[in-house]
Amino acid sequence: MIKRRKFLKASALLSVPAIFGGGVANAQLCRPTGLRSLGPDGKTGGTEPDSPAVTAYSQPLFIPPQLHDVGVAALNPPIDPNRHQRYEEFEAEKVYEQHITEGVWTYHPELDALTPAQAGQPAGSGSIAWMYDGGINGQPSTPGPTLVARYGEPVFVRRHNDLPTADEVVMPIGYPAISTHLHNAHTASESDGYPMDFATPGEFWEHHYAMYYARNDSNEALASLWYHDHMIDFTATNVYAGLSGMAIFYDDIDSGDENDLNPQALNLPGNMQFGDDGEGNSLGYDISLILHDVRFNAEGNPTYNVFDTDGHLGDLITVNRKVQPYLNVKRRKYRFRIYDGGPSRFYELGLFKTADRDTPLSFDIIANDGNLLEEPFRGATSVIIGPANRNDVIIDFSQFAAGDEIEILNLAEQVNGQGPTGRRLTGNNRMEVLKFIVQEMDEGEVDNSVVPATLRPLPEIPPQEVLDELIHREWVFDHDMGLWTVNGDFMDPSVISAAPKQGSAEVWTFRNAGSSWAHPCHVHFEECQILEWNGKKPTGVLKARKDVMTLGPNDVVKVFYRFDDFVGRYVIHCHNNVHEDNAMMLRWDITPG
Amino acid sequence: MNLRRKFITSLAVAVPSLVMTGVSARANSVLGKKSAFKDCPRGITGPTAHRFPQAIVTDQNKKKAWFYEELIHDKIVLVNFSSVRGEEHYPIVANMVKVQNMIGDRLGKDVFIYTISTDPYHDTPESLKELADAHGAKWQFLTGDPDDMRAILTGFGIRGKINGLSWVGNEKTGRWMTKASRQHPLYIAEAVARLSTGKHHKPFLVDMHSV
Repeated sequence: MIKRRKFLKASALLSVPAIFGGGVANAQLCRPTGLRSLGPDGKTGGTEPDSPAVTAYSQPLFIPPQLHDVGVAALNPPIDPNRHQRYEEFEAEKVYEQHITEGVWTYHPELDALTPAQAGQPAGSGSIAWMYDGGINGQPSTPGPTLVARYGEPVFVRRHNDLPTADEVVMPIGYPAISTHLHNAHTASESDGYPMDFATPGEFWEHHYAMYYARNDSNEALASLWYHDHMIDFTATNVYAGLSGMAIFYDDIDSGDENDLNPQALNLPGNMQFGDDGEGNSLGYDISLILHDVRFNAEGNPTYNVFDTDGHLGDLITVNRKVQPYLNVKRRKYRFRIYDGGPSRFYELGLFKTADRDTPLSFDIIANDGNLLEEPFRGATSVIIGPANRNDVIIDFSQFAAGDEIEILNLAEQVNGQGPTGRRLTGNNRMEVLKFIVQEMDEGEVDNSVVPATLRPLPEIPPQEVLDELIHREWVFDHDMGLWTVNGDFMDPSVISAAPKQGSAEVWTFRNAGSSWAHPCHVHFEECQILEWNGKKPTGVLKARKDVMTLGPNDVVKVFYRFDDFVGRYVIHCHNNVHEDNAMMLRWDITPG
Repeated sequence: MNLRRKFITSLAVAVPSLVMTGVSARANSVLGKKSAFKDCPRGITGPTAHRFPQAIVTDQNKKKAWFYEELIHDKIVLVNFSSVRGEEHYPIVANMVKVQNMIGDRLGKDVFIYTISTDPYHDTPESLKELADAHGAKWQFLTGDPDDMRAILTGFGIRGKINGLSWVGNEKTGRWMTKASRQHPLYIAEAVARLSTGKHHKPFLVDMHSV
């Protein structure tokens, strides 16, 4: 009985700080454990706690199945054509419904084992996640099922917010309202996933994708897109919570079928099969891989320091939301669509044999930001992507022997959310991403796919004297008074920062005013072609149509834009989503011409 | 009341040596080694408690409070950052007064606004009171020991003496977001309504959805 009453009395006094006077007023008893950045290797020694250790390459890759067409009759209430620009012209042929729910997801079986009972599931069943349903077997997943669409076949998607309300939701980050943006789609404003077009729990939002080439020009075809949440102020956290999925657009040229007899068809690897058998075998040869770097707490759930406005860095790389998985591949060509799902990590991805991690292997790059290049970039030994960038690559595994193990490693050093340091990781500091295990092809199977010498021409850019006559605008990405700003301003949805006329063309300049940070700068609706990057004409993979200009420190990029087909509200923003959520976004409108 | 008792009891567990020795040389020597206290148990915890130090702050009326435990825990808060000198160069208080007026009766009941001094070397309760009164600000302006204030500011990711970021948080749910302090006050008030739970929750104040 150590004078319990006296003890309590003393502590009662202690809780009234005024009695301290000046003497112990500086008594700082506990310092914050959540600090800012990682150690120099970009992986460990960080001030945010490390994720629990897990075994790399011990679980199969998840490949999302194709979104399942439910037919127009299934929608109740039916489609209201008056809500969508040009609906009558592009009446929906493919109709999908997706329900967004909270549940558990296996990022890694060893993390599952740490998880408590949550979201109605018993302990040990998975990490907390927000997911999409609508796949062939109906199970919710992250990434959500892949939207596979074809030009000329308009798509309609109704997305239901079935998340719990903010009072009840288990996910500790993000906000349970959704606005789903189909990244880079040429889509009317009301279907774009504009940040203010959010649906709260119990509501749905409708997206009409016309599947119409910009300016009806097949050279404007898009191929690798992704859908992700774009809720105002909560994009980074809602996507981190699980709200991302892939979309593939095909047409007669990039038809998805390597055996296509159409003489125009490119016959790139692919057989229109999507998904996997659950044991590390893909059903198809055209495989989307989205990278998200995630940090997990001791309970196996994703963690996130919302107070670090520089950006978020995870210490485990996930591919299709599986930590460091493996994939069995056959001795043939594959098309991989590689996405940087963010929120803040930049990658330089290289290919190495596990048995010889010092010799970089080569592959072909065929697309930048999801758009086919004019010709393949052959013999690349690494590919650099920033948040929301996509690159399609072809890896030919026939050069390897059955049993060979091939890894994708990340070589880019990054120690905080601001951007990469510019240095390369070496040796064992390189981050493990994905392992391929090479197998013989099936008996009698042939690889008819090719990587043709020419892919898709770029739309014409007018001559310099015409460009000089166009409206020029500059967008400066900066950091001011603790705020991420564009042209000194921060997101205000009632302010229109540019209003190009429908049918017009303009020259835009994106300028990074920072000397130590990177900004992947993204413009909705239209994509552009690079005229100059730091004063130089683009070559190689930069000679492309792009929707995310990944600006390094002090970079200046001049691009050519055209604005056509739809009118309404769009945004320009930094796709380091943490910067975006801290107001590095502006509204711009296309107005009737 | 129950919470308060819990707070008191757990504080007693947390800092017995301090209680037993009072304001003594020994306490000071222990406090000097701040790292020794890094993982000490907290009196009160909450979703983001680990981001903030256990520290005492003083408001413009010289009222002292434990920063997280008494000002943040279990509350809906709007936290902004300024100083008497910073306000001369980058004023935010006038805009926050407009937000205060929109929040109305909720201020001090379930919504709390704080301005945290970024310049505790110079900002005294007296000078902050002058600043608050000049604008008709009814919320608390907080200063304190510079090391403690730095630790609090670090928790919010605030560097430098002038910062244009406001944090809106609901520490009942642990959900936090930012708005620029010079954003239109309606959007800051909207953030408070959006993060509020229960009867005060509103997903938006102005409907800006596509029609």
